[in-house]
Amino acid sequence: MVGGMKDAPVIVLLHALGASARSFDAVVDRLAGYACIAIDLPGFGNAVGDTDFTVEEMADHVAAIIRARIDGPWVIVGHSMGGKIATILAARSEHGALPGLAGVVLIAASPPSPEPIDDDRRAMMIGWAAKGPLTEDEATNFVSENIAAPLPDAVMAAAVVDVRRSDSAAWLAWLERGSREDWSGRIGVLHLPALIVAGSADGDLGEANQRRLNAPHYANADVAVIDGAAHLMPLEQPAAVADLIRQHVAIAVATRPTIPPHFARLIASDRVSARTRAILIDRARPDAVDYVPHVLSSGQLATLRALMARVIPQEEGAIDLAARIDARLHAGEGDGWRFADLPADADAYRAGLDTLDRAAGAGGFAGLDDERRDALLMRIEDGDCLVVTDATLSPAQMALWFEDVRADGVRIWLAHPATMARIGYDGIASGGDGWRKQGFAKTRADDPERWEPRATKERLR
Amino acid sequence: MKLDQMRRYAATDMVDAVVIGTGAGGAPLLARLAQAGLKVVALEAGPNREPGDHTPDETAAGELYWMDERLSDGAMPQAFGGNNSGTGVGGSTLHWGAFCPRPDARDLRLRSLTGEGVDWPIRHDELIAYIEEVERFIGVSGPADYPWDTARRYPLPPVARNASADAMAAGCAALGIVTTDAPAAVVSRDWQQEGGDLRQACVNCGTCHQGCRNAAKTSMDTTYLPLAVAHGAEIRPGCMATGIERDARGRVTAVVYVRDGIEHRQRCGAVFLCGGGVETPRLLLHLGLANSSGQVGRNFMAHVATQVWGRFDAEMRCNRGYPSSLISEDMLRAEGAGFIGGYLMQSLGVLPMTLATTMARGGRRWGRGLTALMDDYLHLAGIGINGECLPHDDNCLTLANETDAFGLPKARVTFGYNANERAIDAHATDTMIAIWRAAGAHDIMVLPRAAHTIGTCRMGESGDAAVVDPWGRSFDIDNLWICDNSIFPSSLAANPALTIMALSLRTADRFLKGQ
Ligand SMILES: Cc1cc2nc3c(=O)[nH]c(=O)nc-3n(C[C@H](O)[C@H](O)[C@H](O)COP(=O)(O)OP(=O)(O)OC[C@H]3O[C@@H](n4cnc5c(N)ncnc54)[C@H](O)[C@@H]3O)c2cc1C
Ligand code: SF4
Repeated sequence: MVGGMKDAPVIVLLHALGASARSFDAVVDRLAGYACIAIDLPGFGNAVGDTDFTVEEMADHVAAIIRARIDGPWVIVGHSMGGKIATILAARSEHGALPGLAGVVLIAASPPSPEPIDDDRRAMMIGWAAKGPLTEDEATNFVSENIAAPLPDAVMAAAVVDVRRSDSAAWLAWLERGSREDWSGRIGVLHLPALIVAGSADGDLGEANQRRLNAPHYANADVAVIDGAAHLMPLEQPAAVADLIRQHVAIAVATRPTIPPHFARLIASDRVSARTRAILIDRARPDAVDYVPHVLSSGQLATLRALMARVIPQEEGAIDLAARIDARLHAGEGDGWRFADLPADADAYRAGLDTLDRAAGAGGFAGLDDERRDALLMRIEDGDCLVVTDATLSPAQMALWFEDVRADGVRIWLAHPATMARIGYDGIASGGDGWRKQGFAKTRADDPERWEPRATKERLR
Repeated sequence: MKLDQMRRYAATDMVDAVVIGTGAGGAPLLARLAQAGLKVVALEAGPNREPGDHTPDETAAGELYWMDERLSDGAMPQAFGGNNSGTGVGGSTLHWGAFCPRPDARDLRLRSLTGEGVDWPIRHDELIAYIEEVERFIGVSGPADYPWDTARRYPLPPVARNASADAMAAGCAALGIVTTDAPAAVVSRDWQQEGGDLRQACVNCGTCHQGCRNAAKTSMDTTYLPLAVAHGAEIRPGCMATGIERDARGRVTAVVYVRDGIEHRQRCGAVFLCGGGVETPRLLLHLGLANSSGQVGRNFMAHVATQVWGRFDAEMRCNRGYPSSLISEDMLRAEGAGFIGGYLMQSLGVLPMTLATTMARGGRRWGRGLTALMDDYLHLAGIGINGECLPHDDNCLTLANETDAFGLPKARVTFGYNANERAIDAHATDTMIAIWRAAGAHDIMVLPRAAHTIGTCRMGESGDAAVVDPWGRSFDIDNLWICDNSIFPSSLAANPALTIMALSLRTADRFLKGQ
């Protein structure tokens, strides 16, 4: 297993056509503290001789390395051809097959749909390889065409060597087939946080096509453009690439309550039914960083977030409970009853949050420090919050509403598989889809079954 | 359940009976009438499912609950939804806990014995005969010797005990309280269901409240309803009964229902209203039917269902195993108690979300106090009671000013404990705390709670004070019958479903006699 900073994700890097793992050397140097695994794809770099050239096989090749070497969260970075492989792996991960992926960085990435390449150019590149390994001139031409400004000599030389040592069969497999395969339907829309990087001077895989072909597959994507770079950004501007990766890893870690790999493997196992697995994976999708509320105003959402921070304090990788409550109110999903003394759920939330803000004074609830927030909530709980002018809920109603808030918050928190892992609850794995369900053979105290995980908290002890 | 091969009737067919609701009250009588050769159609508001469709995921399992909004008030507003009502072919038995003690003879005669409460208009031995029939049919697992009723025998050996049960057994033993394996309507061995499919032995998965994927737990869709369909009954899922048509003499002629937004009517010779303790009175109040006594909606009852939880040094994993595998009937009549009636105790396994909801609501927990508690989930275990609730005038169901998606007024349920329930609650709380201390629990927590929706259409000897007669027939409309939790005159300490199923067969027999 590889390891870098404690709990930091491992960064997996996939190179472009004709390149190799070492095309990321200068980037990796600048990611000190992170464990990085740059992988030679079959037919390239040190993996020449390996014949798993199809897109699917390349993805399998990478997946096998990840399974063998990573036992925690990871982020995938894909450059050009490697970008298409990265997206396929991201989809596998979201569907439960490859646990632990926290974020995706695409650099001038080839999209899941057929890559837009000028026909003449494709024909020329195929012609180079059709007769065997590329000549020095052809390789130099290929690299030069893909950069905005000359590279340092040593970098240029290494890049040309990489092109020349590529297996021409792998080169052709990508140009004739892999780059043309249409995976877009199978990929659908992914929810992992993604960063899509384009070079300002790139051609077919520049910003416009990145927005058109890659961005629609990621519901939570940012697009960044590196000025003065063309297609070979890791070689051209390694510092800028490393900075973007570093920033995105921070965001990915912060926005994602991670499901630890042992629990993700449990969810993927045959002890969990297909229906339950789909439910859990769906619920584990990261919250949108810029969630726009449907039922609450953005001010009310901010107050609800501040309230949730006290009702269900979460240390790291917080689940956006407030956004999830708003989404639930929007979907009209009640729980079958309500206090007769409260208005309908959405109205009660709006009125409760407004009253809370007024009772908190000039800066609103979010303006209070933790101690004052808790003091106010204790009074509300006791039915004794200040009667404030313009308040829409009375103190007695506020006490009832606060009870609903507590229940809603804790339910949404516990519904998340990351929380199940945290508390060690594995009842979701009590039976798969076989004719006989597994259930539990052991039911007594201090007698876990061999497969049963412990609470994350205890695992850390 | 499989419905593709079932017999179907046209709306213009004059069927012998329409049954509204396919839960514990509706299903057994549907089967009995079909077996007798009658043409019967059941209308069920909820959908039809296969056992394999269920999921242990607590949020998703909310699909089994009746989620149309009800308004709750009074001193102890009742949580509906997941706490106490279900929908779908099988009704609340899809997610019930299958804990099935028998009703105690003394509980049926509270008025005669204590001067308080009410008597049931049914003899205990007659009820027990029906209960034994139900137990044999659905396959109840229980101990070989039942300490409080030595003659009793169960068709199947008990299900496995879990960590909560062991803790309760130890705590009770230390205090001299008798316990035994709980009677559970769960098959502890593979069971070829008469009229239905093979029901697999319980695998201790612990998710009974989310629906049993093995059909080990009795639910109507794996027991009485397949039998009914095998004998020619038709079950129509997704059909919400909204009206009852009558002729000039006031007798029922048809039931009006809504399916996919379209109104239909089914002609029938009689109707059995089995919608449960909330929907049955709501429909009757809305239609203004069968209420010359003024008793429809009155005397709403909910069992005192206080729980006591604690943290154990050992890892309990109380989600594993059949959730309530231990019982004590010692407190059915507690010595020197200042209340009438009594309570049953049971060990508890509860899944995290359900437990945390009770902690957050009744337990008033939030902040670190709540998250730290749930971080210890693997070490928590609980014990709870089911205690007598007497009928009381202040506790009732009325119609709210708001309407639901069908245009029917929403139910408003007003509930609070009175002196007897408060005394039971206090006694049980002390007892359970003592048991949990003796069992070695730390950080003991009391969670006030009430459960089940009982009463609102009580049965009795006289039409002045009751909605239905001792067999469930309306005093006002002679071809309208009610069979569900609403007809209970008092709550009984025993959990209700077994008694409801028994009453259902008895009502069917009475109806058949009159045919
Ligand atoms: C979480 C939980 C655990 C429980 N555990 C136990 C236990 O361990 N032991 C026990 O004895 N009891 C238990 N119970 C209680 C038991 O499930 C109920 O008492 C019993 O099922 C009630 O039967 P019923 O016929 O009155 O109503 P239900 O079983 O609720 O059936 C009513 C049916 O009628 C349908 N319906 C209602 N209105 C209409 C309409 N207008 N048109 C068409 N259909 C309609 C509903 O959809 C529903 O399917 C539990 C209940 C819950 C909620
Ligand atoms: S514990 Fe037994 S009865 Fe309950 S759901 Fe699991 S298999 Fe079914």
